Amino acid sequence: MIEVSNISKTYGKVRALNDVSMSVAKGEIFGLVGPDGAGKTTLFRILCTLLLPDEGVARVEGFDVVRQMKEIRRRVGYMPGRFSLYQDLTVEENLKFFATLFGTTMAEGYDSIKAIYSQIERFKDRKAGALSGGMKQKLALSCALVHQPSVLFLDEPTTGVDPVSRKEFWEMLAMLRQRGITIVVSTPYIDEVRQCDRVAFLHEGEVKGIDRPDVILERFRDIFNPPGIRREHVAVAGAEDNVIEVSHLVKAFGTFHAVDDISFKVRRGEIFGFLGANGAGKTTAMHILTGLNQPTAGTGTVAGFDIRTEHEQIKKRIGYMSQKFSLYEDLTVAENIRLFGGIYGMSDAEIASKRDAMLEKLHFTEHRNDLVGSLPLGWKQKLAFSVAIFHEPAIVFLDEPTGGVDPATRRQFWELIYDAAGQGITVFVTTHYMDEAEYCDRISIMVDGKISDMGTPEELKRRLNQPDMDHVFTYLARKAKRGD
Amino acid sequence: MLRHLIQKEFLQIRRNAFLPRLIVVFPIMMMCVMPWVMNQEVKNVSVDVVDHDRSTLSRQLVQRVEASNYFVFNGQKPTYEAALKDIERMDADIVLVIPQDFSRDLTLGRQPQVLVAANAVNGTKGSIGGAYLSQIVTSHVNPSVEALQSKVSTLFLYNKHLNYKVFMIPALFAMVMMLMCGFLPTLNIVAEKEAGTIEQINVTPVPKWAFILAKLIPYWTIALFVIVVCLLLSWLIYGITCQGPVYLVFVLAMVLALFWSSFGLIVSNYSDTMQQAVFVMWFFVVCMLLLSGLFTPTRSMPHLAYLTTYVNPMHYFIDAIRTVFVRGGDFRSIVHQVCALSAIASVMMVWAISSYRKNH
Amino acid sequence: MREFISFVIKESHHILRDRRTMLILFGMPVVLMLLFGFAITTDVRNVRTVVVTSQMNLQTQNVVERLAQSEYFDITATVSTPQDAERMMHDQKADLAIVFAQDFASKRSGIQFIVDGADPNMAQQWANYATNVIADPKGGNVNLKMLYNPQMRSAYNFVPAILGMLLMLVCAMMTSISIVREKERGTMEVLLVSPVKPLLIIIAKVVPYLVLAFAILTTILLMARYVLDVPLAGSIVWIYVVSTIYIILALSLGLLISNIATTQIMALLMSAMVLLVPIVMLSGMMFPIESMPQILQWISAVVPPRYYIQAMRKLMVMGVSVGDVVEEIVILASMTFLFLSVSLAMFKKRL
Repeated sequence: MIEVSNISKTYGKVRALNDVSMSVAKGEIFGLVGPDGAGKTTLFRILCTLLLPDEGVARVEGFDVVRQMKEIRRRVGYMPGRFSLYQDLTVEENLKFFATLFGTTMAEGYDSIKAIYSQIERFKDRKAGALSGGMKQKLALSCALVHQPSVLFLDEPTTGVDPVSRKEFWEMLAMLRQRGITIVVSTPYIDEVRQCDRVAFLHEGEVKGIDRPDVILERFRDIFNPPGIRREHVAVAGAEDNVIEVSHLVKAFGTFHAVDDISFKVRRGEIFGFLGANGAGKTTAMHILTGLNQPTAGTGTVAGFDIRTEHEQIKKRIGYMSQKFSLYEDLTVAENIRLFGGIYGMSDAEIASKRDAMLEKLHFTEHRNDLVGSLPLGWKQKLAFSVAIFHEPAIVFLDEPTGGVDPATRRQFWELIYDAAGQGITVFVTTHYMDEAEYCDRISIMVDGKISDMGTPEELKRRLNQPDMDHVFTYLARKAKRGD
Repeated sequence: MLRHLIQKEFLQIRRNAFLPRLIVVFPIMMMCVMPWVMNQEVKNVSVDVVDHDRSTLSRQLVQRVEASNYFVFNGQKPTYEAALKDIERMDADIVLVIPQDFSRDLTLGRQPQVLVAANAVNGTKGSIGGAYLSQIVTSHVNPSVEALQSKVSTLFLYNKHLNYKVFMIPALFAMVMMLMCGFLPTLNIVAEKEAGTIEQINVTPVPKWAFILAKLIPYWTIALFVIVVCLLLSWLIYGITCQGPVYLVFVLAMVLALFWSSFGLIVSNYSDTMQQAVFVMWFFVVCMLLLSGLFTPTRSMPHLAYLTTYVNPMHYFIDAIRTVFVRGGDFRSIVHQVCALSAIASVMMVWAISSYRKNH
Repeated sequence: MREFISFVIKESHHILRDRRTMLILFGMPVVLMLLFGFAITTDVRNVRTVVVTSQMNLQTQNVVERLAQSEYFDITATVSTPQDAERMMHDQKADLAIVFAQDFASKRSGIQFIVDGADPNMAQQWANYATNVIADPKGGNVNLKMLYNPQMRSAYNFVPAILGMLLMLVCAMMTSISIVREKERGTMEVLLVSPVKPLLIIIAKVVPYLVLAFAILTTILLMARYVLDVPLAGSIVWIYVVSTIYIILALSLGLLISNIATTQIMALLMSAMVLLVPIVMLSGMMFPIESMPQILQWISAVVPPRYYIQAMRKLMVMGVSVGDVVEEIVILASMTFLFLSVSLAMFKKRL
């Protein structure tokens, strides 16, 4: 079905793919896994005839990717990693357009996307740009699946999507496989890797192994399944006082209540996981707490200051790292540190000594003068987190800080979080990785703008009688009424 | 805090692939090419002559036209229609038709009519060229008029040789300020908006005036530097120097910079994409430039259009800079413009800062 | 065909949904036409004139009267020394001073005009007009005829120029940005992998802008005719034919830019720097080409709008037959052919 033999591709000095060979059989779900920058996207692009390989031969359904571009393009479907919709078209217009583009209609393709599209169908007249991040991803999935090609290439289709929707998505893939469609998919989620028929592990442009998922996961255990981390619960002085207190908070956009009457408290030094499905209102709530938005109703304090009137005081005492990468890409590591240190009023000498210590700890000293834009994603995330706590804030807010990186890198990231918590910094974090949810001291799960449950992971599992956090989340989120 | 932010802006400007080149090339282009291009001087007017008379007198007239270095003599044509064809092809701009019996009528004391037909699609060119040719003809056939004209002398103050560059160079400063302090910071802020880094700044305790100032100060500095280079170049290349006190040029430039930056900020606060920001900016810039008196005298405008110049900061700037640069005016002579300009700039600045929101 | 239509619909949505840009796109021609039609004039009007004389007598009174009665000059003050007049000019209170010599009355001699020369063109015209008014041109031997534009309205000159500029802006800038935006956002990858032919994608992207360009063309022509009273002297058919060639030229330039640029801001700056600046400066739109130094005249020879604007001036205002614009049409057509083939050859079917 797909034959790749000895493909190499070089960009300038960087060797993105080095002598890659593999074959995929018809009707197989074939997984591509590997850390950021392993060459997965390049391989997808070559198979889709978007890039020419420097060396080697690749065939899709018997057609050569170099010479028989037209035949291949007629048969494949492709969803790129940064698949973006037309922001100024409505949900339905987007779907219709992509359906026509692939020579089908919405009515014909409706059945195959029903499971996901039905969740957003009520917003079909809303512009895609006005949807929340996860909703956009669901729409993008619908657009990619609305036609039924014989080969489907999906480049990290579920990054940033909540666990429930990811399950539904994979159920759809299984359906497509039964119809004999070949699927090549890349993913950073271990539970998704397990659902593939076979996976190839790519690392630095080379294939390290191709086999059944359990074999690969076992063989590269230290990357995919790092030992869990345990934290001694350190009792921080004054651990009983609350650094965040929120009661009856509401944020309405017109008649739509993005945040609908939520109340909670976070204690000093706690790692508080703020979970929820896409569009449940997590980001909006976080914006209110960090002073980017004003609440419509309700009261709250962060670090002892009122979120309505004293947001500038709050800003001095918090750190923030958003899901969009938040350092300046065209500044070097050291320059970024100096900028953010300076913004919080630290003296030059203080910045210099703390910077050296921090770079030392991250083993970054030799990269201090590299442009941030040239670093791998996992490094950027660690750096962004270190910068966010550089001025020793009382609380640090992390909005999906670990999207799109492999388990080993995510584990290193959590070591940094534990470290920060150990210093008495309260951590307020949102995530879609349920293994990370287990790392939190306490979590809340938001559904439809309300907090539907809250407690330690153990409590929740016990109370709802579910084996792990994944099931807890699915159990609660499936009760959602609104899609956004 | 401000220091770090400014440092960051300078670093980003330096790392940009395009901006450093723009900053170097722009003033040079501006001073070496623009004064030659922005030249509405009427030159090289090409003339067709149709001489139906072919007498000594008419031939002398033709020679006089030929000899004038103002006109390019395109040739003699047998008929008016043939000459008109030249005009239609835009090979000629003016036709001079000398009627039959021109010299006989003249000696008989009649008033023969010489036809001067100018292509007036470009009105300025048609009227200046036509008037000049008429003068030659009138003084040729009517020595008494020539005598009278010789009694009338004209003194052109401030710009003896009617050098168009003297007129245009001060206006170029307005363009520099507009691009450097208006367009560039606007694009910069909208780019941060689109990249999402502005959100990161908004959760820090940076006050909004500090963020805005940090964005603007680098561009103000660069703009002042560019103006110094422009002043130097204009002296070196054209020998044109500022007639009034030079510090006034900088005072005016600073006030204008304040206006353009505030204006750019307002535009960026209200637009979501770069395309929108640029189009909106461009629209207002074109209107303000055209109505400022930069190209055409404001006093020739119809009343309604003239009223807009009272709120057009570019008009005050152009007026004042020409007074200082060309006419050698001192602070006293531009007090009125400086006050008006500062008033408009401060209103815009207040609007700009209040429309920038850290908290929704 | 169905793909094609849905493509065109999608593209039109993009254009129509961006209200602010739409407003500017249609507001711009209207405002520009009004500005150039009414506000931007180089007419000699309201010239502030100062009379400099030590004593008023009948003769000087006579001359001053004549100036005051003409529609061009406003007598604003009478002062006694030329220095006073100069000071007034210096302070921007006067444009022109008429100085009578002491013995003006007896000898009828000695008038001097002191003119503010800051604006050379206007200074020259003021002096010319004033001389003519005083020298009494009645009974002169010259019959001055202003061809095509007897009232010397600047609109006649500028309407073709506005067309040249706006069509280029809409077609080249907007198309290049819209194509590059798809590249930047990643949607181009999906479009390319789809079974739709790459060429069809490009044509479909261009069609709405083509329609938009014709809408703007028609708006400007209608405004020119009915609001500004500029005669459309030539054949409408040929005006549209030449404009079509020019629009296609502009679209291929936009395509060319989109092939080179990788980000929207780059496309924007390239269209501004490479297209807009030369058009405004070197096409003869505002500044006559023949007044430029030779080297700039050569450069202007490769600026396409130069030929379009010239052809439109001939066709619209002068009303010449198409035979007289053959040269411009041939040059425009060959440029179109050149740019179109280069941009199509450069169009990447892969990334």
